[in-house]
Amino acid sequence: VNSKTKLAGFATAIAALVLALALAACGGDDDGVGGAEETEAVTARSGPVEGEIVISNWPGYIDPGAKGTVAEFENETGVQTDHKEDINDNVVFFNKLKPQLDQGDSGGRSIFVVTDWMAKRMYDLGYLQELNHDDLQTVFDNILPQFEESTVDPERKFSIPWQGGLTGVFVDTNQAPEIDSVSDLFDPKYKGKVTMLTEMRDTVPLVLQSEGIEPDEATKEDWLAAIDKLREARDSGQIRRFTGNEYTEDLTSGNIVAAIGWSGDSSLIGREGVEWRRPTDGCDLFFDQMVIPIGAPNTAAALGFMNFVYRPEVQVDIAEYVNYVTPVGGVQEILTQRDPELGGDPLIFPTEEDTQGCSEDPDPPGSAEDIAEVEGAFQEVVSG
Amino acid sequence: MQKRSAMSLRRRLVPYGLLGPGAIWLVLFFVIPMYFMGEMSLRSGVPNTPEGFTFSWEFSNYSEALEGRGEQLRRTFFYAGTATIFALLIAYPLAYAIAVKVSRRWRLLLLFAVIAPFFTTYLIRTIAWQTILADASPIVDLLKFLTLVSEDGRVLDTGGAVIAGLTYNFLPFMILPIYASLERIDLSLVEAAKDLYASARQAFLRVTLPLTMPGVVAGVLLTFIPAFGDYINPEILGGANNTMIGNKIQSTYLEESNYPEAAALSFLMMAAVLVTVLAYIRIAGTEAFVGTDDEER
Repeated sequence: VNSKTKLAGFATAIAALVLALALAACGGDDDGVGGAEETEAVTARSGPVEGEIVISNWPGYIDPGAKGTVAEFENETGVQTDHKEDINDNVVFFNKLKPQLDQGDSGGRSIFVVTDWMAKRMYDLGYLQELNHDDLQTVFDNILPQFEESTVDPERKFSIPWQGGLTGVFVDTNQAPEIDSVSDLFDPKYKGKVTMLTEMRDTVPLVLQSEGIEPDEATKEDWLAAIDKLREARDSGQIRRFTGNEYTEDLTSGNIVAAIGWSGDSSLIGREGVEWRRPTDGCDLFFDQMVIPIGAPNTAAALGFMNFVYRPEVQVDIAEYVNYVTPVGGVQEILTQRDPELGGDPLIFPTEEDTQGCSEDPDPPGSAEDIAEVEGAFQEVVSG
Repeated sequence: MQKRSAMSLRRRLVPYGLLGPGAIWLVLFFVIPMYFMGEMSLRSGVPNTPEGFTFSWEFSNYSEALEGRGEQLRRTFFYAGTATIFALLIAYPLAYAIAVKVSRRWRLLLLFAVIAPFFTTYLIRTIAWQTILADASPIVDLLKFLTLVSEDGRVLDTGGAVIAGLTYNFLPFMILPIYASLERIDLSLVEAAKDLYASARQAFLRVTLPLTMPGVVAGVLLTFIPAFGDYINPEILGGANNTMIGNKIQSTYLEESNYPEAAALSFLMMAAVLVTVLAYIRIAGTEAFVGTDDEER
């Protein structure tokens, strides 16, 4: 009897220990409320540019290598820079980090590069630090006037433009030279030879425009109707699959003849005759933003990095490599000297005419609940 | 007297000590996460709002998680089941050949060949299949020539590609347990059966197969369970119409930010696997699963 009670005591002790350990490990607030919600937004602290930082960016979005921009920044400032290319989809990235952001922890990262609507969402949830313009002299000296404000961040309180571009259609001109609009992608001739993007704010506005509806004026019902159209196209096998950056591989290996894609990605497609076209029935403009998350270590170096990439002589290397729209003034002149063709490329330096009538990655209308409903319907199609 | 009782206490504690590390591991990384998942699955709220989700015994998450997912559930059972059957059909003869038919040197070499793909990561192996099955690949041309694929058809981004990927990726989990049980068979039993005028087929069906059932059952479980929850193969090899429940959980959580529904769906998936496995063990018999007492001795 004695040994049995001892045994029970022993087991209870172990169980209690494990439970205590577990609670300590999983501790923190458990009510699902954002960590920074109760407090005022913090402003990113400036200081000497030194130490180390981690940056999260999209794949292929900066010139790499020993002479690349990251290496240059390291050489000049001595800041150990870990430039991670770990964003392939705004929402997926956001949800992976959300549990940490809720605890006021940025996952060790000091800069995220996310699309403007996501920057706004993060800011509204209290996940971003505010920026003091005095710390960003180089940025505001060189930013092109049209980027000084944005619809999501009119005063540039929390976001600094990284690069932007247009969403349109990539066409394999050897296979289907006649495709030049989003409606063409629904032509049964190309059944199973077409892909679209998993980013709802790219795909759906283009479909809306192909139906003659302005995304900014579209109602929730319009969004749901466009999503229904996508569902039918998926069910019939018209749309082969929904992708992130992977559509470049499908185009390269010739699995598809056309895809909805981002203007700067031409360099990632290794097949002759594939070209990006601005659809005749629509246009979508997006801009990705640098933001500093709450809990970011070494914000001083993060601000230093922002200033660094806004030097025209640095930015020109990025623009030359990624071929997206640059927000920095003075770059076009330098690039034209280096390479007249790139210097005149309307995809890197679009005029107002080039971007006229483009929607800007709009949110569906309505409350957070309405947006969640539309997102749910879209995901039902994308992963259905 | 004193000493003896101390001894026996220690003896009694030994099994607990042996179970300890595993039990702690299980509690920390299974029971506790399970609790949090269960709690999450009963919360309600609107995604991407500062209020987030609050606990409210929201059982409707479970019915909502299933709503409109019937097609995917059916598909998940079909893909995982078909892949398991194919894996069994490929693995058994192969394991038999390795264990019974070939020389010792070949045996080692063949076993090494079975395990070798594991030296590369799962993800890379699956991405390699994208190239193998691409529309313009010679293999697809051959399949078209054999009229196994229609002239304007494709292999990549179809259900067939997903089943092929699942079969390939989980094949070693089928081969190894079957090999282990075949290797232990006393071949004189088969000889005895033949001496008693059993045909080769009868000897196999009455002697070899029953003796290797534990290996088959283990292999089927080790293949079916991970295949059921797989998300990589449909993601990489499947098209827009070939997603499985794993993809749905991923997208509900990471794309829709609907954590409660994703948690509820995960629980339902676990329940589905559990029911399937229990039914299977029931049919196959627990003896086949854990081995008979005779074998243990």
